[in-house]
Amino acid sequence: MEDLTLHDGIASEEISEPFQCCVCLDLLYKPVVLSCGHISCFWCVHKSMDLLRESHCPLCRHPYSHFPVICQMLHFLLLKLYPVAYNRRENQILEEEIETGIYSPQFNAQASNHSGDPASLSTVDFESTTSSDPSSIRKGEPCADMELSNCDSQCQEKKYLQVSVADVLCLACNQLLFRPIVLNCGHVYCESCIIVPAGEMLKCQVCQTLHPRGFPKVCLALDHLLEERFLKEYMLRRDALQLKQVDLKHERPTIYSIESGKQGDNLPRSSDRRSKNVHVGVGCDSCGILPIVGDRYRCKDCVEKIGFDLCGDCYNTQSKLPGRFNQQHTPDHKFDIVKLSKTHILHNMLRLVAVRLEDNSTAILVDADASEDSGSESPSPALPSDSQENAESSSAPTVASADGGEDQTGFHSTT
Amino acid sequence: MIDFSRVQKELQECTRDTEASGIKVSPKSDNLARLIGTIPGPIGTPYEGGTFQIDISLPGMKNEDVGMVINLCGVIGGFLFADGYPFEPPKMQFATKVWHPNISSQSGAICLDILKDQWSPALTLKTALLSVQALLSAPQPDDPQDAVVAQQYIRDYQTFIGTARYWTETFAKTSSLGVEEKVQKLVEMGFAEARVRSALEAVGGDENLALEKLCSV
Repeated sequence: MEDLTLHDGIASEEISEPFQCCVCLDLLYKPVVLSCGHISCFWCVHKSMDLLRESHCPLCRHPYSHFPVICQMLHFLLLKLYPVAYNRRENQILEEEIETGIYSPQFNAQASNHSGDPASLSTVDFESTTSSDPSSIRKGEPCADMELSNCDSQCQEKKYLQVSVADVLCLACNQLLFRPIVLNCGHVYCESCIIVPAGEMLKCQVCQTLHPRGFPKVCLALDHLLEERFLKEYMLRRDALQLKQVDLKHERPTIYSIESGKQGDNLPRSSDRRSKNVHVGVGCDSCGILPIVGDRYRCKDCVEKIGFDLCGDCYNTQSKLPGRFNQQHTPDHKFDIVKLSKTHILHNMLRLVAVRLEDNSTAILVDADASEDSGSESPSPALPSDSQENAESSSAPTVASADGGEDQTGFHSTT
Repeated sequence: MIDFSRVQKELQECTRDTEASGIKVSPKSDNLARLIGTIPGPIGTPYEGGTFQIDISLPGMKNEDVGMVINLCGVIGGFLFADGYPFEPPKMQFATKVWHPNISSQSGAICLDILKDQWSPALTLKTALLSVQALLSAPQPDDPQDAVVAQQYIRDYQTFIGTARYWTETFAKTSSLGVEEKVQKLVEMGFAEARVRSALEAVGGDENLALEKLCSV
């Protein structure tokens, strides 16, 4: 149990592979745990999500539709394990965020002691009221820097702190986590501490949010760390739980039988491109579903560039979770329902154009290749839909210039 | 936008175990968006003994107009676009001529799902090249890129093997020769040494490509 972090310098901080993000190949920063138990960075997960249909885990291709909340317990654990590298990552990501003007959730260092408390998910004001103005983002910088330097000095002390069992407790049994499971809300429990009443959806005992889509898998990276670092305690937990194991086996089938929750099911499947009311590229800031299907509510008072949106379910349950991108959303903000009107469809199509345009250079290349060995290329199943999209995108600008004088039924049929 | 820090990490990682995997990736110029990958032909296949070069180009934002369109509507709905490598697959194409049902004998285009819709950002250049290498060992004539080769594979397997082996001998084994040997060989064909050297340099040392270049001028 020798603490690697006792040594100085980045070079000595060897990041063990389970805590290297599979997407950016760097130390995990603001880790998000998918329901298959694989971990990735907040931004890496966000950027790998599919804007049109359900997403897949980059590692195992397990389908998911909800962008999970950052796992704060892991966040503070990694900060303790690799203080130098983690702070380097923090600075690096913050720079990128200042550039894009969209921020990831900010955490209080003090909150590390009670990482389970949803109230600790604080939102730091980056002068958000004028965040679209680049000069004001500059103003935001010193405050962020101050915070970072604070963090640095704290880390100097933290370097000599070892990770203790108190950092990795189950929120239900308050003991060392055994076979940890991270829910969509970012809260961590032992696999055995999660009890789902038959016929109901899995609900977090701390924040009461529902966990979509069946029973999540154990986060093995974290589990291995626990076993390695706290072997004695881990074994005790295992022995104690082995007695209960018989009961668990009885419970499992009922748990797995509720594979699909109410929210997981209405996402368009990869084949279903024409589903109505798909808000392409728009996610719910509460449950994290992307894209929102059906009703979408947009906050009228949030000024952040990224906006604040809720899906129908979350709007009706009055979720109290803060936004996913550090928005300064408060319960007294008003919402507008967003219908997939002509303009929105137009926007969505423009997005497709943008995406397609980028592909065009390659599309042309591929076409050239294809014509060279004409006839030798077999029609791949992807081609028809692609050409359909190309047709869509090429028609979009003309529609835009006509300023929507025509009826919109044609739009519906093409989207 | 390409995540260049990741590409750099990948290159380091790949160099570290080139010995074991036989797979090399090196940048074409100082710009990391264009690279060249090298894979050895799998043992026990007609590609055995050959060294295959693959052109790699990483997708990113190249066109300023595209950038503008995205700026206009990129964040309208509340979600950013994630473009470029590793969120989009790298574009790969054989630079070395190869006779294989899933690789165009003309252009070197590769028909492989992970380079298209089955791409995942957790894949790397090295793992993608490993998949291409695996494709050499396991042709899929039912989903061909080159119909002529696929037909031959299905109808006349022995001829296919022969042709594939001949192509490997002819096009994929030149790199075993030293630079001086290549120069000598081409000079013997009647080209001026200075021209031979510059042509070889221009095509990255491939004597067949150099010969093509010399003949085309």
